[in-house]
Amino acid sequence: MSQISRRQAMAILGALGFGATAAACAGPGGSTAPGGASGPAAPSTGAVTGKVSFAHWRGEDKAVFDELIKRFAAKHSGVEVAQDISTSNDYNAQALQKLRGGSIGDAFATFRGAQFKNFTEAGIYTELKDSQAVKNYQKGLLSAGQNGDSQLGLPYQVVFPMPMANLDIFDKAGAETAPKTWDAFLGMCEKLASAGVIPISWPGGDVGNGGQLFNCMIANNAPVDDMCAQIEQGKLKVTDDWFIKMLNQYKDLVPYLQPNATGTAVEPAQNLFSQGKAAMLATGSYHIAAVRGLGAKFPIDLVFPNTSSDGKAKYEGVYNATFILGVNSASKNQAAAAAWIDFLSEPENAGYYANQTAQHVSVDKVEYTNPDLKRLSPWLQKKTALAARFQFNNLDVRNAVEASATAVISGTSPEQAAAAAQKIVDERL
Amino acid sequence: MSLHPGTAAKRKAPDSQHADNPAKVRRRSPTRVNPALYLFPLPAVAVVAFFLVMPTLQAFQYAITDWNGFSAAFNYVGLDNFIRAFTKDSLFTNALTNNLKFVLLVVIAQTAFSLVLALLLTKNSRGSILLRALFFFPTILSSVSVAFIWKFIYDPNFGLANSVLGAVGIDGGSYLGNDAQALYWVAVTQVWFHAGQMMVVYIAGLQAIPRELYEAAEMDGANKWQQFKSITWPFVAPATSIVVAYTTVQSFKAFDLILGIAGNPPKAALDILSTRIYSTFANSEFGYAAAQSIIFMAMIALVTWLQRRLLRLTPKGD
Repeated sequence: MSQISRRQAMAILGALGFGATAAACAGPGGSTAPGGASGPAAPSTGAVTGKVSFAHWRGEDKAVFDELIKRFAAKHSGVEVAQDISTSNDYNAQALQKLRGGSIGDAFATFRGAQFKNFTEAGIYTELKDSQAVKNYQKGLLSAGQNGDSQLGLPYQVVFPMPMANLDIFDKAGAETAPKTWDAFLGMCEKLASAGVIPISWPGGDVGNGGQLFNCMIANNAPVDDMCAQIEQGKLKVTDDWFIKMLNQYKDLVPYLQPNATGTAVEPAQNLFSQGKAAMLATGSYHIAAVRGLGAKFPIDLVFPNTSSDGKAKYEGVYNATFILGVNSASKNQAAAAAWIDFLSEPENAGYYANQTAQHVSVDKVEYTNPDLKRLSPWLQKKTALAARFQFNNLDVRNAVEASATAVISGTSPEQAAAAAQKIVDERL
Repeated sequence: MSLHPGTAAKRKAPDSQHADNPAKVRRRSPTRVNPALYLFPLPAVAVVAFFLVMPTLQAFQYAITDWNGFSAAFNYVGLDNFIRAFTKDSLFTNALTNNLKFVLLVVIAQTAFSLVLALLLTKNSRGSILLRALFFFPTILSSVSVAFIWKFIYDPNFGLANSVLGAVGIDGGSYLGNDAQALYWVAVTQVWFHAGQMMVVYIAGLQAIPRELYEAAEMDGANKWQQFKSITWPFVAPATSIVVAYTTVQSFKAFDLILGIAGNPPKAALDILSTRIYSTFANSEFGYAAAQSIIFMAMIALVTWLQRRLLRLTPKGD
């Protein structure tokens, strides 16, 4: 072998450096997943076999999905489903980048709102409007997975982001569970406080869970249903009278929250509720399984903080359709991924998931046997608003608007808190 | 002593051969190595080029675009992202202010605390060694574990801090729930987390100081403070340089600690540059986040350089 000269060695190193520089100068955005909002294709068909990666954030549902995976594998021999689970915050931040390559998340779930929108724009979804699965869903609950005429995802869960109530404490205090006005709601809190308990346990130190109360507070205060989208677009302002009124109502809640509520994380808030020290937990029905896990034995229902002043509120509660199931357009095993989504959407399997996880589902003809779900089922028939906070596509705007409520609870005046939030909104118009 | 003429003639022979053919005359360095050896650093150069140089250069390119992180389409926006960061984004300037405040607090407290610990535990006695291990222990924990431990210490309802204060009849506070104080409480956690590590650096520096200097100073009648000022402090300057620089960079990047303790996204009172950049990436503003990252990089370099100059840890010209 001939010896390499110094000049040749330097040339190789130089070429390497030049190559790195040239590669770095390649423009961004070169690799978009196939599909797209304008015309996504249906998942490819074929044998239901091979490995399927199922990406989601519900770590607490892992065992239930494991059982469903076993049943799916028994139905289709040669297929394996592996769960790829991240925490909800990480999933929100990183899922899009992870799924674009197609090696992770043949089937996946997304949050309603900004994440669904980004996934749609990135062309991650396939078209499911002609799938077997879509026929199993309640039509009225499918909108969160639609983009124009396309049904890109199937919102699997129905949750009620409203305060959960310990009915034993309510009975003892003689407090009503369905106040029709804001004064009645405050009167209810007063009765609970007089009974020696904390009326509301609120995780103000946790942005994600603390913000759920916002859905209830804004539903009947806003002049339009797409209020959050309009705030983001600059058509409505958080300095408007209706928003200031809502912030004043937040201020009314201060005496009924646990001390130092803005520093309380979600786990301690759950503990206050499950130990019977607080009558309500202001997060949502998605925490039923968690508080049962913490030892709560009492009957649980939901209470809607009705902000109406005259008892003629448009909505009786709020709900959210989320955990939107989809098939990855970059997946190399779309047939099996689609079959997995079909399988989850069958009433029997959706029912198993719902009853084991204590969460309602959007699938029709599901029989709820879980006592908590049975008790909460009437809420499925009530006139409820789709949770408004997920209308925000810009997370900075959402956090700033919701932070105005937290600031009021910390002692800032509603006008000051609103002005600070509006400044951030204006910067992002 | 003269050489044997024959030997001298033999030694000269090669030169005379080259003298016959001047084109072939080359100066050969005694340290000259086989050129193939230049290829040995190639794997390391490739790794650095691929994982460090390329992403850094790409960040500069992305920083002048409005790329959202997933679309094929994007526009070049010049310096707009940089201008936006400083003039039209109060969340960024808030994070910058928080970060500088956090760095200042942690650098001062951690340097002072670790130096005091080191001064108390320099001797290699059994007690000192045990205490050194104890103070060093938090360093081996993962930052997420530390964040969760302190999150529960600070919890106003069930947390250790308020329980202890309550036991002696003092009303506790909201800690992380109080926007005016939250950053200081996280700074306490950061100091607890890393002071033991910095203490070890100082102990190494202190143990290298010759004992004779202290003995001479004592004979001259110098008190403890004079000994510290004139002997200890100048001699531990290199260690201080390491501690300050390391603590600065560490405090700028307290990303996992903040996310663990404050959640994702952290509230404005606890938002620092690294968490702000992460939020901007998560908000599908890759171009803008890249610009923020470059500002972040420049900020760390500037602050570190200023510190070294102000503390006179680096002589001019070095």
